[in-house]
Amino acid sequence: MEDNNDDLIPQKQSLFPVSADDIVDNALQSLDENQAREVTKKAADELVRIAVEKRKAEYRSDRAQDEMRNLINNANLLDERVGDYKINSTFETATGTTSVEIKKSRSNTIILISAIAIFVLIALVLLLIRF
Amino acid sequence: MTTLVGLALIAVLCFGYYFLRRSSPPKELKPKNAELMKVLLNLEDEPLNELFALYKQQFGPGAGRYARETYQKWRAGEVNPSRRTFSRFFMYLPKVMSFDLKCEVLRELRAQYLEKDKYELEVYTDDWKETLQPLVTEVIAKGESAQLPAAIQQKLSWLADDDVEVARAILVRSQKTESENNLAMLDKEFATINQLLDNTNGKGKVTHVLKLPLGTITLQIKRR
Repeated sequence: MEDNNDDLIPQKQSLFPVSADDIVDNALQSLDENQAREVTKKAADELVRIAVEKRKAEYRSDRAQDEMRNLINNANLLDERVGDYKINSTFETATGTTSVEIKKSRSNTIILISAIAIFVLIALVLLLIRF
Repeated sequence: MTTLVGLALIAVLCFGYYFLRRSSPPKELKPKNAELMKVLLNLEDEPLNELFALYKQQFGPGAGRYARETYQKWRAGEVNPSRRTFSRFFMYLPKVMSFDLKCEVLRELRAQYLEKDKYELEVYTDDWKETLQPLVTEVIAKGESAQLPAAIQQKLSWLADDDVEVARAILVRSQKTESENNLAMLDKEFATINQLLDNTNGKGKVTHVLKLPLGTITLQIKRR
């Protein structure tokens, strides 16, 4: 005789764990009316908070951009008037912190060119002595 | 002779201690009551005031006054809260807290105890998006699934309540939206950085620390 009792058939279980959304949906269902109201209010408050934070971040971003443009102008001015300089700046931006280092060292370049010239000269002298 | 034996014994003990320390598994996080209190008292002014008002309402004006007077010392670690005070704040009050306050407490706990990673990446101004995208996606996804350490969940059993689960979901969603909003501004920031590197003719060096809720990515930005 065929057994039609469904209870004896093992229930198929999902291979995947329950998703976070499922957990939240289940949790929401078990909250009472007052709790559900508080949740809705908090979710709305969070939206406002995020909008405020976004505005603050935009402001930080605009300010950082202005400051960086000023830095470029200052570096250009120094480039024209000063031989060696080094500028270190940090900017608070919308996404984090930007650190900039601008360095110009003419004397270092001169030293390097001189060193290469001396090396070439010595090499030439040595070659001439040998032959 | 006795001195030598003594010295040898000390050496063996030191070696044994060192060996045991090296071979033992890393210590599990066991948050102390005082440490958790510091986290709680790190709340913003508004929820902190709500917390003290609730404490006063539940345990009387005397206890309320004492908590108000002592909280700076608890926060600074100068005074450790008694077991009773800790239980009142962390075991009893969550049962009567508003959902809003519970969310704020959870936010502080997450800020303090969720593991934050640090990454370093070298990007060029013309390929930063493609290079950065997979890592950012990974860090944001990590934030969605991150759970407080088991030791804290065991100690604060109310964290398993249904409303806290909903609070967690709200905070995770907020964090994700905030990250996405900020990242949308990265385009503009990179345009300025590119301009800066362009104008400084190879003399400029730029590092950007990208802050995400569960990690920071330090970008060494270069121009081809």
